This record gives sequence, C-alpha cells and structure tokens, in this order.
Amino acid sequence: MKLIIAIIRINKMNETKKALADVGLHSFMATGSVFGRGKGKYDAKVIKGANENVPEAIALLGPEPPLRTHRMITLVVPQKKKDLAVQTLIEANRTDTPGDGKIFVINCFDAIRIRTGESGDSVLD
Amino acid sequence: MLLIRAIVRQEKSQVVMKALFESGYVAVTRMPVVGRGKQRGLKIGNVVYDELPKDLLMMVIKDEDKEFCIRTIMDAARTGEKGAFGDGKIFVTPVEEAYTISRGTKEL
Repeated sequence: MKLIIAIIRINKMNETKKALADVGLHSFMATGSVFGRGKGKYDAKVIKGANENVPEAIALLGPEPPLRTHRMITLVVPQKKKDLAVQTLIEANRTDTPGDGKIFVINCFDAIRIRTGESGDSVLD
Repeated sequence: MLLIRAIVRQEKSQVVMKALFESGYVAVTRMPVVGRGKQRGLKIGNVVYDELPKDLLMMVIKDEDKEFCIRTIMDAARTGEKGAFGDGKIFVTPVEEAYTISRGTKEL
C-alpha cells in the first residue's frame, strides 16, 4: 500500500473531495493549513551555485519569498489504486499555473484498524 | 528522492528556513505541531507540560543533497554551541514518486 501526500490550494478542497469520492476513494485526512513556498522562478544554475555557497548566486536569489497557505491531504491507498488516486488529484487541482502543489508517493508497510485490530489491505476498503 | 521532516523550535523555524533558502533549497512546507520527546516534556514544579509546541518543516530533495541539507538544518536549528534538549529531530523517508500538479508531470 502507498501513502500519498498532496499539497493543494485551499479553494480546490471541495472539488478534490468530490473527485475522490466519485472514484471511490472516500477516506483521507486533511491538515487544516500548512505554510510553504515552492521553487520559484530560479535558474538551475543559480540553485546549483547557491548549493555550492557561491556568494553571487546567493545574491541572485533575492529576498525570501512569502509563505502561502495551502492544505495537505494524506491518504493511504492499495497498490493497484495508486495511479487512479494520483490522476484524480492532478485532474481536480490542475490550473496550469505555478503554485498548484505537489504530490508525493511513499511506501507504506502496514495499516491497522483500531476498532477491530485487523491489518492489511482489507482495512483500506 | 527523500522526504525530510524536521521538528524544530518555533522561534528557530524562521532561521532554518532562511538558511535553507540561502543554500538553494527554496521549496519547503511548514506546519505547527505539538509533542513531547524522550525527556517526557517539561516539568516545572508539580506541573508537567507534555504538549510542547514545535514547527514541522517538510521538504523533498534529491538523494545526493541529503548530507548537505541535513547539515544546513542542524547548524541552523541548534541552540548554543553544544545544543540543548528540545532542539528537535530530523527524519528521512524515501519517496518513490513526486508529481507537479501545475504541469501534470512526474518530476520534482
């Protein structure tokens, strides 16, 4: 099973909930508001120079960008539903402008239902 | 790719984010969390405070940047010369895939 972490715009939350429910992924967890910044419009060379502590490259970065408020969705899905979940999240949130967010997929070893103590893929249905 | 989760003091999170920015790690997410550590929270008199507020910084980086990034966070988040209890922890998790929503592509 896979743990999917998606960081999305707050005003796309309702559409995301509806889209996920429509394809049968009802259960997820949302973290109210997280603050973050993205990569910004930087040249790859500037980033590489800053990684190597070159003063000119650090000066080119300019002032720190402001933090935007986003929402974080965490859901655990079975292996076979991973692509479906990722595609649904992309289609529901895509506006073709920077700042739409990121999706990360992490391996998850086990899931346990606290009510009954059972574990495995059956917990996720 | 690696997911780095750093739990740092709230007054240090600005310092850490500035240090990361100047090292070229611009993309980072911050959220407030509460928790306790190995010292079982703070005991002042008879009162035990075991839900201490901290900031959780989350970022996904390439495998080869791991050492440098962890060193940057550690140097910025440490209090004093030797550090103190409550400075926080850093956790590293492997990430299998990352997608950029605005382009719909499978890349960081």
